[in-house]
Amino acid sequence: MSNLFEVSNVTLRFGGVVSLSDVSLHQKRGEILAVIGPNGAGKTSLFNSLTGVYQPQEGSITFIPKEGEPVSFIGKKPHVISDNGVARTFQASRMFNALTTFENVKIGAESHKGIGALGAIFRGPATRKDEKYSDARTWELLNFVGLRAKANHIASSLSYGERRRLEIARGLATNPEVLLLDEPAAGTNPSEKLELTDLIRKVRDEMGVSILLIEHDMKLVMSLAERLYVLNFGSVIAEGTPDEIRANQNVVNAYLGTTTRDAN
Amino acid sequence: MNFPTIKKFSTQALTILLLSELAAVITGPPGSADAPWSGVQGSITQKTSFFGLFIVGRWIFFYAIGIACYVVALSLRKVNSKTSALKTFRSSYNSITDNKYFKPLALVAVAILAILLPTIISDPFWRQAMVSQIAVFILLALGLNVVVGFAGLLDLGFVAFYAVGAYATAWCTGALPMPPIFGSHINPFFTIPIAIGLAMVSGVILGIPTLRLRGDYLAIVTLGFGEIITLFANNLTGVTGGAQGTKQIPHFSLHLGPLKYIWGLDPAPYYYLVIGFVIFFIFIFFSLEHSRVGRAWTAIREDEVAAESLGINPLKYKVMAFAIGAASAGFAGVMTAAQSNYLTPATFTLYLSINILVLVIFGGMGSIFGVVFGAIVIQTITMYLIHSPPAGYQAQDLYIYIGALLVIMMIFRPAGLFPARRRHRADSDASRLEDSNV
Amino acid sequence: MRWGNPSAFSFQLGFRLPKKGHTLHGFLSYLHAHFHALRLEFWGLLIGGIGSGIIYAMVAIGYTMVYGVLRLINFAHSEIFMTGAFAGYFTLNYLIGDSSPSGITSILLIVVGILAGGLTGSFFAVVLERVAYRPLRIRKAPKIAYLISAIGASYFLLNIAAKEFGRIGRGITQPYENHTVFTIFGATVQMYNIIIFISAGIMLIIVDRLVNKTKLGRSIRSVAQDSETASLMGVDIDKTIAMTFVIGGFLGGAAGFLYAMNVGVLYSMGFTPALKAFTAAVLGGIGNLRGAVIGGLILGVTESFTVVFFSGAYTDVVAFAILVLVLMFRPTGILGELIGRSA
Repeated sequence: MSNLFEVSNVTLRFGGVVSLSDVSLHQKRGEILAVIGPNGAGKTSLFNSLTGVYQPQEGSITFIPKEGEPVSFIGKKPHVISDNGVARTFQASRMFNALTTFENVKIGAESHKGIGALGAIFRGPATRKDEKYSDARTWELLNFVGLRAKANHIASSLSYGERRRLEIARGLATNPEVLLLDEPAAGTNPSEKLELTDLIRKVRDEMGVSILLIEHDMKLVMSLAERLYVLNFGSVIAEGTPDEIRANQNVVNAYLGTTTRDAN
Repeated sequence: MNFPTIKKFSTQALTILLLSELAAVITGPPGSADAPWSGVQGSITQKTSFFGLFIVGRWIFFYAIGIACYVVALSLRKVNSKTSALKTFRSSYNSITDNKYFKPLALVAVAILAILLPTIISDPFWRQAMVSQIAVFILLALGLNVVVGFAGLLDLGFVAFYAVGAYATAWCTGALPMPPIFGSHINPFFTIPIAIGLAMVSGVILGIPTLRLRGDYLAIVTLGFGEIITLFANNLTGVTGGAQGTKQIPHFSLHLGPLKYIWGLDPAPYYYLVIGFVIFFIFIFFSLEHSRVGRAWTAIREDEVAAESLGINPLKYKVMAFAIGAASAGFAGVMTAAQSNYLTPATFTLYLSINILVLVIFGGMGSIFGVVFGAIVIQTITMYLIHSPPAGYQAQDLYIYIGALLVIMMIFRPAGLFPARRRHRADSDASRLEDSNV
Repeated sequence: MRWGNPSAFSFQLGFRLPKKGHTLHGFLSYLHAHFHALRLEFWGLLIGGIGSGIIYAMVAIGYTMVYGVLRLINFAHSEIFMTGAFAGYFTLNYLIGDSSPSGITSILLIVVGILAGGLTGSFFAVVLERVAYRPLRIRKAPKIAYLISAIGASYFLLNIAAKEFGRIGRGITQPYENHTVFTIFGATVQMYNIIIFISAGIMLIIVDRLVNKTKLGRSIRSVAQDSETASLMGVDIDKTIAMTFVIGGFLGGAAGFLYAMNVGVLYSMGFTPALKAFTAAVLGGIGNLRGAVIGGLILGVTESFTVVFFSGAYTDVVAFAILVLVLMFRPTGILGELIGRSA
């Protein structure tokens, strides 16, 4: 498998606080990769650096698309990164609350088409064809995530689990090569978690979209991820398969802390 | 009745009395710096006739109203009934306005009335006002609605685009000291695309550096920009004619093959022209609203970070909103220039920007229907107050009421009288909050 | 030194546009002449600039403090400035009447004027907060609603003042006789400048101590930094916010009085100085108290110097240009956006 993301020696600072320190990781195409770590370890900062919300002061972030040349993401704005094929969800679901489920996803579907104001006003055949395509794709995705029944409901009326699925559908609507999921299971109940796990696997298996996820729920991560990175205080402290990570003492210490008794 | 505690009662009573006194003072004649208390004194000593029914000191009238409202509010509070009267009122209001046939029917009714208007109205004041103060302002409100309502950008310098369009017309027709670049004396009708183009360009020029700023800062910067345009219009005498204004701008005339029409002093033909373009712009803006551009604007307004993560370039769409709103304002400028045949910078003030903002807010930010309605209502009331001012009213007092209206709207009904469909849903939470507050 | 008549505009361009045929040499000699004039007038312009700068600083503190605790630009602060000016005007007119005071009486009158202006400013600031902002806070209204409400409140106050106090500018009866106290490097320092430097300086020092050393100041800074945590720690948010408006309003109103002693009063007097004060607050770093002072001084002096190059009407453009440049290139201002800390 070839690489999708190559992140080298990224350091991110905010004033005096170092959020990410010399972080290097890579993701292979088609893999489900997870980033875990205690609270404040820098996981969301990592996501934000990958998607152009934050600009790291040092290091490089390279994205290798299926077709075309590798692209550096440093210095790029989020919408440009999205055009390159990276979609993300947010830790606290960022819905377009006043819109319906359908409209939320549709915005994702049509965002990459190049229709300007003139087309919008005068509704030529090209515009209508594009709208039809966006509508069809939206229905397809709503079906895929199981939200077809809620298509005309206002987004703010959805449950946590449904919102997560809506965000996933919306991100997929942009036809990405990789989907970054920021704590998709947060706030969901056990049955929703199971559905989510299945959905995420379905996304990779049926749509061929690679997955990079942040999660706190260990059970979910261990069952889903094929490989993990562990962050603590902004640095990578471990990398490997779920079994390797489970056995890694550094990781245990990071999560649980050490006492003299444990160290012995 | 439910009586509040002594402390609460005294503060509430004091507030009511002060408000009533304020109302009495505002509706009185003006004072001056030599006699600062003349307003208050006048409210007590002067006797005014109310509706021709009785003559009494103003303070009595307003204090009575104030006390009556307070008593009513107290008794309503006890019954805890935003239920009964108010709630049934609100639900029947909502059921009418939410009916999906309401807006189209209302628009058709308004359109028919609009077309027949010049035949109904013969008073010259109103014939002039319906063009220059109402129809033109509908255009301006529609334009600002795109910027503030669709894209969520608070632009306090919107009048600048209006000015650009108007002065561009003056320039092209040779009414400015600075001669036009091509020949001279083009008919104003053909300056329409030029004026709109220049207005849009100025929208882009203003927008690109400033639209990355936060909402508050954007407001101040656009306000400054509007002031700068006025400043230049006043001071670049060699270019704009300075504070004295332009030379005479000719009326429209149209010579297109067999079509030949000359506009003149009669407001009616201008009225039809402007209304025609109002309908045109409504069509354009409606299409935009329900297109991917409109959805992108909504996304940016709702959550810019999420929109950006979906590939929507916020700057591009915001600049687009500026340019499109500016187009409407620029066109309004052409109309004003040609119909009044003369321009001065004194027309294009911050007051005007805020005036247009009030129309949009009152009618409903983001709602084409609401904004048209708001413009018609407020401008008609304004013109009525100028035409037949009640005792003690001066033309400039209008701004006192406008200022108060803005604050009241924000507190009680920020979405406007006819909220935009999408906002209405989001605001339904807010209105549920209102219900539980009183 | 007058800072410009609030009602008149100059009718010509303040500078000559280079005509075709002027060479680069012509342009350079133009610059040279103006820089020469600048050098001649330097100390006079500097003193005048510091004087106006201190006034901007006082008003800027009002903006910066309210922004700190509410994240809101108090658009109506310009009217607070105006009400303070009018309060001082009426008070002094009443007290002085026809006499020409001197000595101790003068000092007392100035203090009374400052108090009148400041207290009136505080009063209206608190009323403003109660009427126009608190209801929005209760409803958790979006930011745009606060701005619109502020604009409405500003318009309301401005136009009531216009109606009740007339639309003609008036001068304040002077509580002292203005004369040149001394000259420094060829520039005159007038009684007026001394009064401003001393009184404004005292007030600024008091406010700085207040915000940094007192319990109230700590409350204000904590609310500015994190209001939720502050309320969990027992800080009364509503009262703290009200006190912020009191302090900012006092300074704004007092500044209005000091400004009006020179320029007079007019219902629309608040608009331009307040806009410049806002620029000063942004320049120094919004939310940062000492930044507001620094920003005010820098803006005042810069403005003063540019009068040499452009005519009076265009100095407003200078302030606006500074605002846009700062917002575009260093939006956190000179001292940085240190919300909750005063330096």
